[in-house]
Amino acid sequence: MSDVLRAPAETKYAEELDWLESIDDGPKPFSWRLSPKMVRLFILGSERADGLDREISQKWFGDRSFVERSIVTLASDRGLLLIGDPGTGKSWLAELLSAAISRNSTLVVQGTAGTTEDHIKYAWNVSMVIAKGQSRESMIPSPIMTAMETGAIGRFEELTRSTSDVQDALISILSEKYISVPELQGDGTDAGDNIVFAKPGFSIIATANSRDRGVNDLSSALKRRFNFVRIPVVTNKKSEAEIVRFRTEELLRRHAIDLDVPPTLLDVLLQSFADLRASAAAAGSDDEKLESSLSTAEQIGVLEDAVLHSNFFGERTLTARTLASSLVGSLARRDPEDLAIFNKYLHGVVEPRSKQEGGSWPEFLDGGRDTIATLS
Amino acid sequence: MTGSATNGPEETAVDGPGRAPSPNGSAPASANSPGQASFAALREQLHEAATAFADGPRALEGILLGMVDDVDRAVREPLEIFPVCHHSPASALAMARRLREKQPKVVYLELCEDMAPLLGELRNCRLPVAVQAFASDVDGFPAEWAPLSVVAPITEASAEYQAIAYALDTPGVELVLVDRSSDHVFQWDSRHGERTPQDPPAPADGVPEPEAALHGEAVGVEIGDLRPRFAELEEHLLRHGKVRHWSEWWHQYVEVPLGDSDHEAYRQVMFLVGSLFRRLAPGDGDRVRVDEDRERYMWTRIREHLAAGGADPEDCLYVCGAFHAASRVEEFGVAGSGPFTISPRSATTWQHGLIPSSHAAIEAQFGLASGSVSIAATQWAKNLKRTRVQPYRLAGQDGAKKPRATKKAAPAVTAPPPEAAEDRLSGFLRRPPVLDTLDEAELLGWSVDIVRAARRSGYLASTADAIAVFETSILLAGMRDRAKPTPYDFQDAAVTCIEKDSVPGRRDVRRLVEIMMGGDRIGRVGYDALPPLARDVHDRLAPLELKLQQRGVQRALLDLSSRPELGACSDVLWMLRRLLPHGAARPIMGERKLGERSIQESWDLALGTHQRALIELGYEGVSIEQVLEQRLRRDAYGPRATTAVVLAAVEDATLYLGSRRLSDELGARALEVLAAERTADGAPEVLRRVRGLLAYYRTAEPVLPPWVESFVKAGYAHYCTLLPTAFTDEDATVGQVAAMLGFLFSMESLALSLGCDRAQLELAVAQSRPTDPERTALLWAAQVQLGALSRAELRERCGELLANPMVVPAYPRYLSGFVHALVPVPGLADVVVEAVSNAFGRLPDPVLLPWLPSLITTLRAGAADLAPLLVREAGRIFPARLTALDTWVPPWREVVEAGGPDGGRTGAAGGGSRGAALLFAHPGTLDAVAELLGCDGTWAAADDCPAGPVGAVLTARHPDTAIAWESLLTGA
Repeated sequence: MSDVLRAPAETKYAEELDWLESIDDGPKPFSWRLSPKMVRLFILGSERADGLDREISQKWFGDRSFVERSIVTLASDRGLLLIGDPGTGKSWLAELLSAAISRNSTLVVQGTAGTTEDHIKYAWNVSMVIAKGQSRESMIPSPIMTAMETGAIGRFEELTRSTSDVQDALISILSEKYISVPELQGDGTDAGDNIVFAKPGFSIIATANSRDRGVNDLSSALKRRFNFVRIPVVTNKKSEAEIVRFRTEELLRRHAIDLDVPPTLLDVLLQSFADLRASAAAAGSDDEKLESSLSTAEQIGVLEDAVLHSNFFGERTLTARTLASSLVGSLARRDPEDLAIFNKYLHGVVEPRSKQEGGSWPEFLDGGRDTIATLS
Repeated sequence: MTGSATNGPEETAVDGPGRAPSPNGSAPASANSPGQASFAALREQLHEAATAFADGPRALEGILLGMVDDVDRAVREPLEIFPVCHHSPASALAMARRLREKQPKVVYLELCEDMAPLLGELRNCRLPVAVQAFASDVDGFPAEWAPLSVVAPITEASAEYQAIAYALDTPGVELVLVDRSSDHVFQWDSRHGERTPQDPPAPADGVPEPEAALHGEAVGVEIGDLRPRFAELEEHLLRHGKVRHWSEWWHQYVEVPLGDSDHEAYRQVMFLVGSLFRRLAPGDGDRVRVDEDRERYMWTRIREHLAAGGADPEDCLYVCGAFHAASRVEEFGVAGSGPFTISPRSATTWQHGLIPSSHAAIEAQFGLASGSVSIAATQWAKNLKRTRVQPYRLAGQDGAKKPRATKKAAPAVTAPPPEAAEDRLSGFLRRPPVLDTLDEAELLGWSVDIVRAARRSGYLASTADAIAVFETSILLAGMRDRAKPTPYDFQDAAVTCIEKDSVPGRRDVRRLVEIMMGGDRIGRVGYDALPPLARDVHDRLAPLELKLQQRGVQRALLDLSSRPELGACSDVLWMLRRLLPHGAARPIMGERKLGERSIQESWDLALGTHQRALIELGYEGVSIEQVLEQRLRRDAYGPRATTAVVLAAVEDATLYLGSRRLSDELGARALEVLAAERTADGAPEVLRRVRGLLAYYRTAEPVLPPWVESFVKAGYAHYCTLLPTAFTDEDATVGQVAAMLGFLFSMESLALSLGCDRAQLELAVAQSRPTDPERTALLWAAQVQLGALSRAELRERCGELLANPMVVPAYPRYLSGFVHALVPVPGLADVVVEAVSNAFGRLPDPVLLPWLPSLITTLRAGAADLAPLLVREAGRIFPARLTALDTWVPPWREVVEAGGPDGGRTGAAGGGSRGAALLFAHPGTLDAVAELLGCDGTWAAADDCPAGPVGAVLTARHPDTAIAWESLLTGA
């Protein structure tokens, strides 16, 4: 077991990336480590027909055209903005893209209400400034600036959480591709001393949450400099099952848990999410739908909760009862609205189904009821 | 085509579409060996491939070699089979070329045989249109299937249109439709017995455009449905083709490579694709059965025709879907056999017509990707330009640039004998995918155009975006192993670069690209191809001088006073409004109500847009009057007809048809329905309609129609009978009971004059013992109207209710009852105003406030009838100015303060006696009335009347009136 809780993608898949790089004979834009086709292969996995000597696992699940459009955008001179509901895998795709393209996915700025321009450009090491004055050594470059200097991909998470003035600092970075440092006086010998130019290969992948729309809307000048790729919530049951299985396996490996997720229970989980989504789509007001976005990530969260619970407190097997209690426990955030929805769901949908189909559903129903009783 | 299709599901090949497929890497086969050996090389190659790639060679070999057998068989058939795929420009191009070359004498076409007479009408239409078979009355099918509708859309860029145009415009050529009839489509429907309405497949993304619904709920039939029959194969092909949907795959891997290939290569490739999809189809029993039956049907018909006409199979061409060309049924071929008997059609009567279609409608109906038919049309135009092939086009085709004056047939080339079939497949399959070279100018044009279109739709797009779209398209195509971006790559690029977080206008970038790539084209059925009803409508609307055939909304202004001849147009328009869907004819100004006529009308007409609805109306009858009459009868005699529905039909018959005969007949029907009704459900509506009709007949006709009299009589007796139950029935609402009372009171005089007995009503009211407050209040009001209860008593009861703390909470419900009572007893308005005022004055807030919303909703529901009455009464009672309010005393208080009223009834009696004295003094009027009525009674002595201060006193005090009367009467 590694001593890092969660290794970045380029470390985790280092060996795969090395191998891909070794066989890659396609044209590579700028300083990319892999050609666009190989980047796609790395993210979407290989098939027999690709004729590779080894299998490359699929790491991101979704429409391939999203990946293609994202890669192509990074090869052009625009930034990439991944937009979508929470839990749709935007950040994961961004991480995979930067790991594949520049082997560094850690040049991340996290957008928050407290993000300032310094976080995007540079800051000063105050004690060094006092000792040596303002110079390149006493400057602390931001991850974006580092990305520019190394020709790598910089990431900006939750772009719309940061305020408009901070966002607008990106405009000049994306169009001029340099940051000027007015504090450094060019001494005339080196004209570029007070300007940090971006090396070829630099680009920015930003992510934005579509539920945050209206909080800090992007200016149209910034919008122009980004290509938007909208990542939808996965509703295809088959690919969703793949995602959940993939992430759960990873999780079990990480926690070194030896526990089986029975396929029937996975079906129960997927079905219940599909039902809840359908009811949310039919709901007239916010009170009639769960606060949760019911994304795939939420689904994985529910399963993770159930697995951990069964492992540490249960009988080391995952049961429908535990799954139901995790589902209700993780998704019921408002009392009484969310609980009322679950109550309605259990009695209106699960109860008839458990009578009709049997299987794990009756146990699931009992577990759900008990949890609602406990919570209300 | 690349190896994707052939190697498809077996996953044998290592080729992506970008690599030259060579399943086994062996040397090219000898391509030109004639006869039996023609496909031997290919067979050998495939056999090796099967052995090399599959663990168990038998199954794979069976499929691969079976496909070659299918191709071989179809190629050898003496009657030339021309395989097509729907909406395939490559098919259309190959067809045009082949027709010019071969000049066949007979063309057999895979299209419902009963549609044949209509094809000639295509020249009057602008394509795309759909040939429709329609049956509203079904006989032999479950009744719930009705109406049955089958449509076969025809676009210009289709092989079938080429064949039709060639056959119809070339003298001596016969076109024979050989597919099963529309009737058989439903006879063979596998859902027989459990059919649900056909759900058109939802469009892949976005909101469907309104044009997508042009076909209504018809079942679509198409020539050359060619698509993998099971999802895995399609998914596999899409994945390896790096495309998103089937249309894109077909375009990329079949259309483009086939674009320039010769006839033999085209045929063989299409046979191969058809065979592949056929052999790799799941055992979907019903579907396979229907397909095979259709093939048997078609070949049986062809053989019948050949036997009857004695045509030489060499001179014939059989156009069918590639899927059917690879058939293995016994009946296959001119020499085929098999005991297939064609089942007789059912007794259902089918109507046929042409309806407008659109690319979007075709895409929606057949589950094609949105925009694909438009792209096919663009591709067709491009192919024509590039190859200089002259397409066939029906002479006089609407929308044609110019009629083709010369149809000089190219010298007929005799078809190569079937034995000489060369193996064109090996070469084709081994060829690397045809890559269109990058047409930079075209792509630049697209990029500039899409930015312009996006800007018009509200996007903040600029030249920089055009550059980005151009660059991204090339990059995307490169990633997908294409030298030239396809329209679909370009679409992706445009979405990536221009689409931001929200769509500013009505259409998103995806849709804009579709529109730009050719856009939706909507067909139009020409005048001559319209059914008689539709032509009649257009003829009758001709005085409006509008181009009603065109799509879009047009405004018609009818000044009926200065141009009375437009009245006939107005009649037609009102009927169309009644018959066609909303929006086809919409009155902006002017209305048609009983007894009213507008002097000016203005209409928004969209008959061109709703052409299908108008044409389908034509299947129901030959004139709109006839259709309307049928519909009215159907409504009135339907199993769910209620009295209100029938009365509405009577009203419509009077309004739109002006037909006394029909309205009398329907009125009689209303009487029947009323007699069978046992609830008060429809009472409010019945009351409203009967009042309206009565008012109309009283003013418009010299005597009431007999049915109205009977209806009033029967209704009076009917509602009298129902009244006591309705008062206690929990299901009947207060409004319904009030409407019953309204009927009884407002029709009373007429009913009594027709021989009804008032005692019946009095008894009914006396028998009514409601328990809930609303209905009790209603009953009290009825009693006041009948004179059984005085207003003073009513006031007293209300006062008691308010004074009793136990019933105060229920007081608002009494009030609700009183408000409803205004319908039957409008004279009670002052009492209701008083009761409401008292409620506001005396009810405690906890009772009053919760009730207010229900008062408001009641008043709103009856806004038209109740509110004006109450407001007028309140306006009369309450002071008009705020300053006057301080000194104002409500009239009911005044009466109380003045020592109490002397009671309604006694007052009335006293007044009566006072009036009698006046009558005695001036008996002339009454005598004249009595004489007129034929009464010969005599005057009783004036002394019989009680003495006292009578009306005469008043005349003495104000003599002017009486003097004026006197002078008038005496003529002085």
